[in-house]
Amino acid sequence: MAKSALILCMDVGFNMSNSGPGEESPFDQAKRVIQKFVQRQVFAETKDELALVLFGTDSTKNPLDNDDQYQNITVHRNLMVPDFKLLEEIENQIHPESQQADCIFDIALNVCVLVENTTIHKLDRRNIVLLTDLNSPVSSDNLDVIIENLKQADITLQFLPGQKRPRTEGRPGHGEAHHQLCMFKRIERRPMAWPCQLTIGSALSIRIVGYKAVTEEKLKKSWKTVDAQTNQKDDVKRETVYCLDDDNETEVQKEDIIQGFRYGSDIVPFSKVDQEQMKYTHDGKCFAVLGFTKQSSVQRHRFMGTQVIKIFPGKDDEHAAVALSALIQALHELQMVAIVRYAYDRRSNPQVGAAFPCIKQDHECLMYVQLPFMEDLRHFTFPSLENNSKFTPSDEQLSAVDSLIDSMMLVEEDEDGKQKDIFKVHDIPNPAFQRLFQCLHHRAVNPGTPLPAMESWLKATLECPEVIRERCQSALGEIKNKFTLTQVEKKKKLKTSAQIFGKDSDEPEAKKAKEDEADEEFNLADIAEGSVTSVGSVDPARDFRTLIRQKTLTFEEVCKQLTHRIEQLLGNKSTDYYMKSITCVEAFREQSVKLGNADLYNSYLQLLKSSIPTQGLESFWELLVQDGVTLISEDEVEGSTVTRNEARQFLVTERIEEAAAHPAEDPGDVDDLVRIVLL
Amino acid sequence: TQNYREERLTGRDSLVFLVDASKEMFIKGEDGAPSNFDMTMQVVRTVYTSKIISSHRDLIALVFYGTEHSKNPNDTFKHVYVYHDLDEPGAKRVQDVDALRGEKGAKLAAETLGCGPSSLGDALWCCANLYSDIKLRLSHKRLMIFTCREQPHGGDNVKDRQARTKASDLKETGVVIDLIHLMKPGGFDVSLFFRDIVSPPEDESELGLQLEPCEKLDDLQKRVRAKEQKKRATARINLCLGDGLNVAVGLYATAVTARKPPPVKLYRESNEAVRSKTRTFHTQTGSLLLPSEIKKAQTYGKKQIEMEKDEVDFIKKFDDPGLVLMGFKPMEKLKLHHHIKPSVFLYPEEGEIKGSACLFSALLKKCSEKNVYALCRCIARRNNPPRFVALVPQNEEVDDAKVQINPPGFNVIYLPYADDVRTLDLPRCTSASQEQVDKMKDIVTKLRFKYKSDAFENPVIQKHYRNLEALALDMMAPEEVEDLIMPKVEQIDRRLGSLVDEFKNLVYPANYNPESKPAAKRKTADSGGGAEKKPKVEVSMDQIKVHVQNGTLGKLTVPVLKEACKQFGVRTTGTKKQELIDALMDQLSS
Repeated sequence: MAKSALILCMDVGFNMSNSGPGEESPFDQAKRVIQKFVQRQVFAETKDELALVLFGTDSTKNPLDNDDQYQNITVHRNLMVPDFKLLEEIENQIHPESQQADCIFDIALNVCVLVENTTIHKLDRRNIVLLTDLNSPVSSDNLDVIIENLKQADITLQFLPGQKRPRTEGRPGHGEAHHQLCMFKRIERRPMAWPCQLTIGSALSIRIVGYKAVTEEKLKKSWKTVDAQTNQKDDVKRETVYCLDDDNETEVQKEDIIQGFRYGSDIVPFSKVDQEQMKYTHDGKCFAVLGFTKQSSVQRHRFMGTQVIKIFPGKDDEHAAVALSALIQALHELQMVAIVRYAYDRRSNPQVGAAFPCIKQDHECLMYVQLPFMEDLRHFTFPSLENNSKFTPSDEQLSAVDSLIDSMMLVEEDEDGKQKDIFKVHDIPNPAFQRLFQCLHHRAVNPGTPLPAMESWLKATLECPEVIRERCQSALGEIKNKFTLTQVEKKKKLKTSAQIFGKDSDEPEAKKAKEDEADEEFNLADIAEGSVTSVGSVDPARDFRTLIRQKTLTFEEVCKQLTHRIEQLLGNKSTDYYMKSITCVEAFREQSVKLGNADLYNSYLQLLKSSIPTQGLESFWELLVQDGVTLISEDEVEGSTVTRNEARQFLVTERIEEAAAHPAEDPGDVDDLVRIVLL
Repeated sequence: TQNYREERLTGRDSLVFLVDASKEMFIKGEDGAPSNFDMTMQVVRTVYTSKIISSHRDLIALVFYGTEHSKNPNDTFKHVYVYHDLDEPGAKRVQDVDALRGEKGAKLAAETLGCGPSSLGDALWCCANLYSDIKLRLSHKRLMIFTCREQPHGGDNVKDRQARTKASDLKETGVVIDLIHLMKPGGFDVSLFFRDIVSPPEDESELGLQLEPCEKLDDLQKRVRAKEQKKRATARINLCLGDGLNVAVGLYATAVTARKPPPVKLYRESNEAVRSKTRTFHTQTGSLLLPSEIKKAQTYGKKQIEMEKDEVDFIKKFDDPGLVLMGFKPMEKLKLHHHIKPSVFLYPEEGEIKGSACLFSALLKKCSEKNVYALCRCIARRNNPPRFVALVPQNEEVDDAKVQINPPGFNVIYLPYADDVRTLDLPRCTSASQEQVDKMKDIVTKLRFKYKSDAFENPVIQKHYRNLEALALDMMAPEEVEDLIMPKVEQIDRRLGSLVDEFKNLVYPANYNPESKPAAKRKTADSGGGAEKKPKVEVSMDQIKVHVQNGTLGKLTVPVLKEACKQFGVRTTGTKKQELIDALMDQLSS
């Protein structure tokens, strides 16, 4: 595995403490740079090893230490993968010291070669980074010799921001280096080669190799659940149990579960074995041309999938390179694309996609993007904007928008007529990762303190560039003058659950009376039967009313049974069950008011509200809000501790955004497999 | 504009097919072309099966009017036949509809339905009852009338008026009524009667009424399909142009990868679906853990770092949901390969901020004219980190039959961050000569075809549903699925003829075989390595400890790590390398 080693040599001698008034000393700068750098390495989880050697220390600790040579040099840490321990040591154990190491470069070289020998690994790349203000005595002749020596030893020497660096070309300036270090490393992944054959018909095939070129990168690690007290993962266990949808929620053993699939309203039992036998199978890995079509007929907004694959000729195959080049150039000249069947391997589902020609100065390739299947498309029709006089902008309005666009162009031509893009998204590191690492780092080195605010440089990269913001002011003002935009008052058409149940809302009074009658009948029938002994799951609200009327159980007991039922129903997270739950809550309220006992109900409802976020009951709560099922106020029941206003306010929660049903990432068939195995 | 604001609540969509069953519907077209009734049943079947795949929770009903026989709750209405009441479509229903197709179908229809006098008023009333009998929350209610008769009551004013009243009652309760008018000799004059029955179109264009009657099955499919799917915004947010200048917009997912649905777990004894409950509890005490009793953790640099659950959310939150304009760029700056997920569609929400549609429309027009796209920062949902997106203008496009092909609005293209673009080692390439390129151009030209985005069915999903269909309906064998994304090799070979050999002669040497594997460098499977491999797995416990100390476990292979876990008695369920490493580190580094 490719691996590199890096030796950080930090000068901590007295010369590093000199600084002008109000300036950060070279020592502090160097320390900050090292911290940032190590941080990056830790979160990038590279396998690269790192050693830290300090120069100018009061004590001496290094393998070459003898008598008067190699004094005041401390190998603080031998080559190994950097970790938080190192970060803590840098934070707490490295201070400016009072010695000066002589001939720092000679010594650096020798020490570093030795330090390097401490590792057992074969290294691909060796780097030495020196952090010093270079005030240590060294002649520049000498420096050239040293650099030459290093080159021969195949070691790269880099300077991180000393203040008076020797003038050698091509090294980053101080500011730049620091800015780069601010960011955590971008996620890097070793490209996986996908060798295959591009086929056109049965007789023509070209050896190719594909690489994922663009894809939404995810972090390698995810959050684990740990016990809050012990912080141990092993103390927490998650378990899934299965139960029947009956009153007792009878638990079912895993062995007694078979799988089925929904076919509309039918559930078809379909064993794993049958499924395996009957499922779609194919020949595996494939990149076969179905035909060619005009580039313009493949619309950009129809791109599917989550990646772009670049297709190159097979490795070390000149003939394949020529053949593929012919195809790439032919497509380019004809402005066409290949429509292909693509299958990664036997286990994954085949796709249809387009292979675009891509010709760059230094390389040629095909770029493959997945296209939709018929089943993926939703044909939505939207009202025309042009044919609608209400929405047609006037010429004045159009010209205001015109100037806004002109003032906000992010691509400009400089004096040489070269285009300059001042906002390149693909140069911005994913802010989510940057922020996460920042917070993790903070928590690790400053335990017990609140998380920090976002770093200002990160915030700035997400904002509209300052130049643009200033330049567009007048155009923006013009738009504000020319267009009228008014927030529409939210008059949410309230749907009551009566409507949801399909009852006509046009005739509320009469209907209601009828309902009450029906209710009465029901209850009479129940009492006559005397069959209700507990709140069942079929019609819990009715059972509840009956039980209260029967008075065989205490009010508290019946309420407890009811709330237990509600919890069960809500556990299902489906509208049908929500509706049932609402009738329960309503019955609970109605009976509580009737009996003049508001406490049980009110405390239950408050508990319910507090559990919304954790239980994911947002949509249920919205239903409750619409039906206006709130706390029982003192107006309704004497002794209630809730005022009318409080009751009204109770239903006002912060607006809950609808979590749209975005499907999770493509699990594909492999995941199906996993799911089946787990079953 | 009444449909501008759908309630954003969960609920079922519903669709009622109200089909004219008069004798005119059964008249066959010229040259034995299928009758209007036959075509309608074909479309109904397609909708049934596509709903089963894409949204099986939707409710569908099939009602006939102008029948001789009647079938409806309590038989209140004469000459109205409820073939299917509002319910989820299933295998049986697909079969039922199939039975009404073709020659045999016409016969069955004549027997069971028969032709009689029509009262659209009664039919609509009956449909209204179907809706109100539903004990579920309905979010979208649509009713499609299929007919080839412009005046169902032959000019009977009383019946016409009654139908109009019932139609407006239905519309009042939120039902959208569409007319799918079918071809009849002399054309179909919508203004004679149906203009007052159907719901007005969403815009002023009266698009719906200008439509020609459907003559071909294709047109009919297209028109029904355009109406049958309820568009629903996945998010409603503001597009901020700067300085508090907000345009309300909705995001619509117009292409979503359809997947084989996950299996349902059933109880072996009764085939009833079981529910799953997941609980988090303490391993030692066995007591359930409340959200406040657990934390989240990640391990970096050999250190486990803990956060509260709400801190995890806090880290993800950058801003409230919304689109924020950064500026504009010329279209050519939008690179083809900047693709990380399917795009979504953006359309103004006049119902949220009045004036949005006008400014949106101006923006759309100007972006399109100037050939630029708008670059925005996008947070679509709460606690989502930001993504940058390109808003690419799309002008409205209609086909010859005036059916919308492309709606007006912006396509939202998600752009990659630096992390998402991988660095590849570019192989050295040899370019082809013009002669070689020209030969390939001949090949490409021979295999030209017109690509349509809806031309390919997903064979995996189709096969899955055919299997289910066969099992559900006790068929002997599932219907064959044609794999449309399989290259038609014979056809291609025939079309290319000698071109392939000519090209190969130009680019490949005589003894070259692209099918053969390149000289395998890595595996030495032939040297009887089986016996030798084993010892490799063994790494001494001391060595492992050294690796743990140095944080170099990653150097070891997965089998070695697994073996190490066994040796140290580390329990792990993970199989991924990182999981194994984490497990070992957890155990040994402390």
